Amino acid sequence: MTAFLKATHPSRYVIYVGFLVIFAVFAVVLRDDGFATPANLLNIVQQTTPVTVMAVGMVFVLTAGEIDLSIGSIVAVSALLAAVAMRALPWPVGVVAGIGVGAAIGALNGALVAYGRLPSFLVTLATMGVFAGVGRRMTDLKSIPIENDAFNALFGSGSLFGVPSLVIWAVAAVGLGAFVFRETRFGAHVHATGDSARAARATGIKVLRLRFAVLTLSGALAGLAGLLYAGRLNGARYTLGEADLLTVIAAVIVGGTRLNGGSGSIAGALIGSLLMGMLNNGLILMGYQPSDQMIARGLIILIAVALTLREPNR
Amino acid sequence: MTRKHTAAALAMGAVLAMTMPTWAGETVGPGGEKATPTSALTLSDAEVAKLKDGKFTAALLWHTSSDFVNAVTAGAKDEFARLDIPVVAQTDAGFDAAKQKSDVETILAKKPSAILALPLDPVTSAEAFKPAVAAGVKIVLLSNKPKDFVQGKDYVTIVTDDLFQMGKHAADALADAIGKKGKIAWIYHDAQYYVTNQRDNAFKTTIESDYPDIKIVAQQGIADPARAQDVAQALLLQHPDLDGVYVTWSEPAEGVLAALRAAGNKHAKIVTLDLSEPIALDMVKGGNVVAIVADQAYELGRAMATAAGYGLVGKAAPPFVVAPVLTVTKANVAQGWQESLHRDAPKSVLDAAK
Repeated sequence: MTAFLKATHPSRYVIYVGFLVIFAVFAVVLRDDGFATPANLLNIVQQTTPVTVMAVGMVFVLTAGEIDLSIGSIVAVSALLAAVAMRALPWPVGVVAGIGVGAAIGALNGALVAYGRLPSFLVTLATMGVFAGVGRRMTDLKSIPIENDAFNALFGSGSLFGVPSLVIWAVAAVGLGAFVFRETRFGAHVHATGDSARAARATGIKVLRLRFAVLTLSGALAGLAGLLYAGRLNGARYTLGEADLLTVIAAVIVGGTRLNGGSGSIAGALIGSLLMGMLNNGLILMGYQPSDQMIARGLIILIAVALTLREPNR
Repeated sequence: MTRKHTAAALAMGAVLAMTMPTWAGETVGPGGEKATPTSALTLSDAEVAKLKDGKFTAALLWHTSSDFVNAVTAGAKDEFARLDIPVVAQTDAGFDAAKQKSDVETILAKKPSAILALPLDPVTSAEAFKPAVAAGVKIVLLSNKPKDFVQGKDYVTIVTDDLFQMGKHAADALADAIGKKGKIAWIYHDAQYYVTNQRDNAFKTTIESDYPDIKIVAQQGIADPARAQDVAQALLLQHPDLDGVYVTWSEPAEGVLAALRAAGNKHAKIVTLDLSEPIALDMVKGGNVVAIVADQAYELGRAMATAAGYGLVGKAAPPFVVAPVLTVTKANVAQGWQESLHRDAPKSVLDAAK
């Protein structure tokens, strides 16, 4: 039994147990307040989809030993660009523009990190600021409505065979992300690079190209998150994504991804993201004041992190 | 006002610019509706009894957390308590439109009968509040209207500050303090923000039209309140003989006050907007500050809760409701704090006023 626990790294599964415990507590305490209704649970999944999508990118970035602080700013730029593009052009152009600008900013981050040999923390801290400013300038702080029904259905309030489109996006991002992360050579290279860049290089992995790739991927996924927000709100606004960076990082870390590279978990990131959404939702339904909601949320995250990250042999 | 309060006002004002023009010196509603004072909202005994028996609940969906929001919340909660309507949830969207939409969805799980809310902006809030309208919740709005929402059908009414009167009160107070003649500086908020723009311009308009012997000799915009002291220092170098200074709100006014003190200038009078402890302290100690114009945040909240009562008993509410403005001076500082924020003035201010 001990051997089994050691082999399976029990701390990795604490988050799943913790998630279920918190869910159970809310379900009991809020039994008369609609917490465990299908509609509310579906709300939580839909509300967290943009964070989940960004968390998938962040798992790749962190596992490769880098970080991307610019995702929140990319969200706003992507959403606004898509909204502006769709005013004059067919909606698929807006989609391409939104994801494309995210990928382009990600590629800029990647180029500066990989080929400019700069630390990703500082590069993305800088581009976070730059593109937050760009987002504000793009439309002069004005919100841009999106009146295209096809776009709003695909990225927001639509559904396919009764499954809301945001749920489909979350499942697709997590499924595809987990597959690439665990089953492909690219995923293996991400792990190896984050574990030891020197060793990875020695085995022939193109470390620089890989860093460029994970940051570009993260940017593209943040661009997609921007479209998901825009679809959900039928419009874009410069503040979109502004508060998401720390939520994404918290979700990813709580989900068992190491902040300093080498190992990560896409499924864990999904659970982490849902946990963040569930805490927001449950604490509001509890009727707490916003300040008390923040304190409770912080404490619960602290406990979750303590349980997840305490490795006995550290 | 605190920085947060200002940020709140600024953010909510950003898009109001499109919807709420100020015409000919008075604040009018999004569709040009005439303003009704909050005091005109009243519920009869029969209506109160009906509300008490109705097993209604309410939720408060704010845009942020701040001193201002706290005072609005206190007003709303007191009035809801009088009507036996429990407040079952309160949220803070942190100026995030996506969070506000999530908040609406979340609180609908509690099936509140009424929602008081400050929609972040007309465009994205329309989608955010649609589910609440569809669920038949009575919505009372603070200051901002979601695009295409129809009063009486989608929401009960809009309650807001009387922005023009705030600027006008500031002009009258400064004019009184300097004997209705002299040279003044107009320090305005250099940004496209409805709330401060309306107040600043109302001040200027009032001086220009009502006080012919007062000359605005310096016009200085500030974009960053933290730099107000630098800006004021430069201005005082060019105009050492100013009789009065208008400052767009209290946080930059603290910087202007610091500049006057540094220059040893005890002559120039300051008038500003929104209560703040350091500004009030200077005022009660007989310093440069002579008046602070304040809105009535508590009254805004009380009126919103009353308006929710209108919606719940099916009584038609006036479409656009404004809260009165008050000018706080050394003489009424204790009462001013009570009327604006419904709490005691800071102890330092009360002690100094004795």
